[in-house]
Amino acid sequence: MIPRKILVGYDGSSHSQKAFRHALELAKANQSGLLVLSVAVPAEPAVDVEMEDMLEEAEEHFREDFKQLEASAKEKGVDLETQILVGHPAEQIIRHAKEWGADLIVVGHRGKGRIAEWLLGSVSKRVTSYAPCSVTVVR
Amino acid sequence: MAHVWAEATLWIGLALIAVLLSIWLKIATALSEIVVGTVAQLVIGALVGRGFLGTTEGWITFLAGTGSIVLTFLAGAELDPVVFKAKWKQATLMGLVGFFAPFLGCTAVAYYALHWAPAPSWLAGVALSTTSVAVVYAVMLELGLNQTEFGKIILAGCFVNDLATVIALGLIFAPFTLKTAAFIGTSVPVFLFLPWLTPRFFKWFGGRPSELEAKYLLFLMFGLGALAAWADSEAVLPAYLIGMVLAGTVGKDHALVRRLRTLTFGLLTPFYFIRAGSFVSVPALVSAPLVFVALLLAKMASKFAGVYPVTKYQRYVPKEGMYTTLMMSTGLTFGTISSLFGLSHHIIDQAQYSFLVATVVGSAVVPTMIANAYFLPHYLLPKPEQAPKVEVVQAVSVGPGKGGSL
Repeated sequence: MIPRKILVGYDGSSHSQKAFRHALELAKANQSGLLVLSVAVPAEPAVDVEMEDMLEEAEEHFREDFKQLEASAKEKGVDLETQILVGHPAEQIIRHAKEWGADLIVVGHRGKGRIAEWLLGSVSKRVTSYAPCSVTVVR
Repeated sequence: MAHVWAEATLWIGLALIAVLLSIWLKIATALSEIVVGTVAQLVIGALVGRGFLGTTEGWITFLAGTGSIVLTFLAGAELDPVVFKAKWKQATLMGLVGFFAPFLGCTAVAYYALHWAPAPSWLAGVALSTTSVAVVYAVMLELGLNQTEFGKIILAGCFVNDLATVIALGLIFAPFTLKTAAFIGTSVPVFLFLPWLTPRFFKWFGGRPSELEAKYLLFLMFGLGALAAWADSEAVLPAYLIGMVLAGTVGKDHALVRRLRTLTFGLLTPFYFIRAGSFVSVPALVSAPLVFVALLLAKMASKFAGVYPVTKYQRYVPKEGMYTTLMMSTGLTFGTISSLFGLSHHIIDQAQYSFLVATVVGSAVVPTMIANAYFLPHYLLPKPEQAPKVEVVQAVSVGPGKGGSL
């Protein structure tokens, strides 16, 4: 099946950058829509003021990254959407894939931080277990 | 002066360790600083003596106190005045229920079950009555409910809840004297006048490198804080109210808020939270762990009894209602402020302080863990048996040299 809508989970890590490049090639080859989704994960427990600050910094950080991704997409002639959500990455990716009607989710094999992965669980494993569509895990 | 620089190096070093821990473990910096303060006092106390950290020195007390005042101001300034004006009745109801249920519940448990004297019991009620706007906001964002009517009511309700906490803290333990009347009589007109004066003052003189805005706000917070302390009240009370009344003006000045946050997190709050943690007595906690358990259960159960029926009444999906209720049981900032007020005003002793701070920390961590483990709305996800096709690829076909700019 040709994926018409591809969603990429992006956290800025080298793995997610590989995932983006893979998705970009697929989108170019199939003239698919491409959505890059980043999820800001609040530190737990969220603390007044500190959380607001962290979310704003995460948004600024991702917006800066998105500029580069948008430039790459433009170069390839691919329409790129970007979005930043808040919460647990896997849940938000799956939920948004469902709402957006994604045909394919592309994620990196490993995200940022082994400790975070140990505490939160592997995002790619969770996504592959619960996704409403096909999933490509990029190594 | 050399010993001051040495102490400052030690404190900032501890703050640095706390930040690294928070990054490594993905936990809030405030929580990390409290834990580092507790461990540092324990270790340094055992190795070189309890006085080495200098927790009672004037300059450390000043920086820590300023940290709590500015942090409280910033928390108040996050209020959305438009939503609050539109939904103030529902928000007030929600906030007062969220305040009174744990306030009365925890006071009763401290007094009747733990046999604390009346004043420490009331202080326990105040310290454990708080909620966390941040946690609830995070939950709302996660569930996509921050734009819904009920989401906005809950958020505004959290401000009312915390306002009730700081008012209770500021007035319950202060004997009502002429000083109290002078404090209230001066503060109320100032609060009414500030939303008019501040934007005009900033327009006339602001926007220069001399940071007039920050000095103006600190002047107000210190001035009214001094008046509050003179009246035996608490300086965070006027700071929170100044934040709330200026939320529509200063709160919207993003650049100013960012600069104040830099000052707060970069220098002030590490002193506040590490100091708060350093007064915790681990031996007291270890000797009577059931006190901590009783207070934690009291806080969670009474918050549940107050808030969950309201979410049911508002026809929340049960799991979302439970998730929100659990999240509303947290409250690190105002919980520690209240406990430290009690200790510094000799309302509670160090053991009682330790139990309260441990409960405040526990109430920030335990409900979050339970909510994430059991009540995260996984119903949003399909069942695992519908698992999709998974492909694993080695994506090396496109690199930066082939047009990728990553």
